[in-house]
Amino acid sequence: MRLEVAEIEVVTTPASKGVVVRHNWQRHLLTFLMVFGPGLIVMEADNDAGAVSTYMQAGGQYGLHLLWILVVLLPICYFVQEMVARLGIATGKGHAAMIYERFGKWWGRFSLFDLLLVNFLTLITEFAAISLALGAIGVSPFIAVPTSALGLTLMVVTGSYLRWERIVIVLCLMDLTWFALVFMVHPSWGSVARSTVMPTIPSGGINSSLIFLIIAIVGTTIAPWQLFFQQSCVAEKRLRFADLKWARLDTLIGAIFTVSVAGAMMLVGNYGYQHDIAFQDPAQFAGAVMPMLGHFARNAILLLMVNAAVLGTTAISLASAWAYGEVKGWEHSLHKKLWEAPGFYATYIACVGAAAAIVLIPHVPLQLVIISVQVFAGLILPSAIIFLQLLLNDRELLGDRWVNRPWNNTINWTIIIVLFALSLLLAAQVVLPQLFA
Amino acid sequence: MATMHNTYEPQYLKVIHPLHDVPEQKCSGKGLGRINMTRPVRVSLGVLRGYLIAMTLMLGYHVLNLAGVFHGLK
Repeated sequence: MRLEVAEIEVVTTPASKGVVVRHNWQRHLLTFLMVFGPGLIVMEADNDAGAVSTYMQAGGQYGLHLLWILVVLLPICYFVQEMVARLGIATGKGHAAMIYERFGKWWGRFSLFDLLLVNFLTLITEFAAISLALGAIGVSPFIAVPTSALGLTLMVVTGSYLRWERIVIVLCLMDLTWFALVFMVHPSWGSVARSTVMPTIPSGGINSSLIFLIIAIVGTTIAPWQLFFQQSCVAEKRLRFADLKWARLDTLIGAIFTVSVAGAMMLVGNYGYQHDIAFQDPAQFAGAVMPMLGHFARNAILLLMVNAAVLGTTAISLASAWAYGEVKGWEHSLHKKLWEAPGFYATYIACVGAAAAIVLIPHVPLQLVIISVQVFAGLILPSAIIFLQLLLNDRELLGDRWVNRPWNNTINWTIIIVLFALSLLLAAQVVLPQLFA
Repeated sequence: MATMHNTYEPQYLKVIHPLHDVPEQKCSGKGLGRINMTRPVRVSLGVLRGYLIAMTLMLGYHVLNLAGVFHGLK
């Protein structure tokens, strides 16, 4: 293994390639900005339409009581995704390709099939959210859904990874609007601070609905596609060994940003809890709060829901297209033009197009789709994370430099055991609800 | 006339975007074959198999229950 670092050269004259700076701090800042992206995107895209709904429901049903969970989830998100970034940088390959290579075809096919299935079902829920949110503004689903699908396709077919990345980072930053909404609902900051650091039990006590919501929050915050997405994204961006520290910082910033936005969603949902506003979904909430908070709040919630769905759709579809392309041995890069990587782009377009088309079918059983997402996510998350952990202990492949340290393993095995238990509990709750009645 | 030699030569640091840099040789699994079946790997895959079987049985029961197969038995 060659460990040569070609990132930064010290030169005595300015050269035409690269950016020339005079000071070390400029070099660090610029390198970070160049590496920045995959960590933020993978985290913030996880605040997709389903997540908006879950976090707002958590706020709406239990007020500020569940805020502390987000604080617990922050380091978990970071540790899991840091492993992904490290593996991506060390191997330059995606997660699906590594599972195939090191664990054989059976596990490879199982992981890929489950990933593609759960991703596709999730995409249907994203387009359903777009249809719902834009429908509340008065846009027909037959305009909203195909237009969104077309926009999502145009975003990726430009033949430039960097163009796609910049667009998506802007979409991520639009989620800052959630903080403006928080200031509009005037939460009690003292209570927010207390609930963030001190776990409290809601007035109804611990019941199956509370446990289900807690598991749903965990499942929403750590999704299986994230493992595949970030590793492929890091490989696509060709991050170098020396970029690892910046990729870690990117991932940490992404985790903090995402958890903060999730907290903001809970605080907005808490407004419903304080004012006895019952709601099934964020669109209903937006309509209900309009007389009190005004048109801006209503439209912002609806458009942020669309933004969340768009972010989720592009990241999830790319996770599928990258994974399938890697395993098939196709060209699978956003650097390629449409005709240079036809299989890769066809997979992306097929995922987006088919999910959009299904949403337009009248009386689609969306509840069944949502339940299936939860069950299949429960299947794939523990397995994908087990493979990640085993790959990061594979000295034969990675050498001593990249494998997990003992403290990494202690933390990660703990996370894996907890995720296994929660996934099993979630699937059991969905599949055998009478057990929890 | 005495001349002063300026020995100061400013240093420039060049920062190259990862996409425009020389590709690195990455850790490759080519030629290594499958992962070594050490005890932790065997145990992990065994637990994973057990978990997947349990999930599949639960799902199968749910589907059969929805189809009304167990209604006649109650």
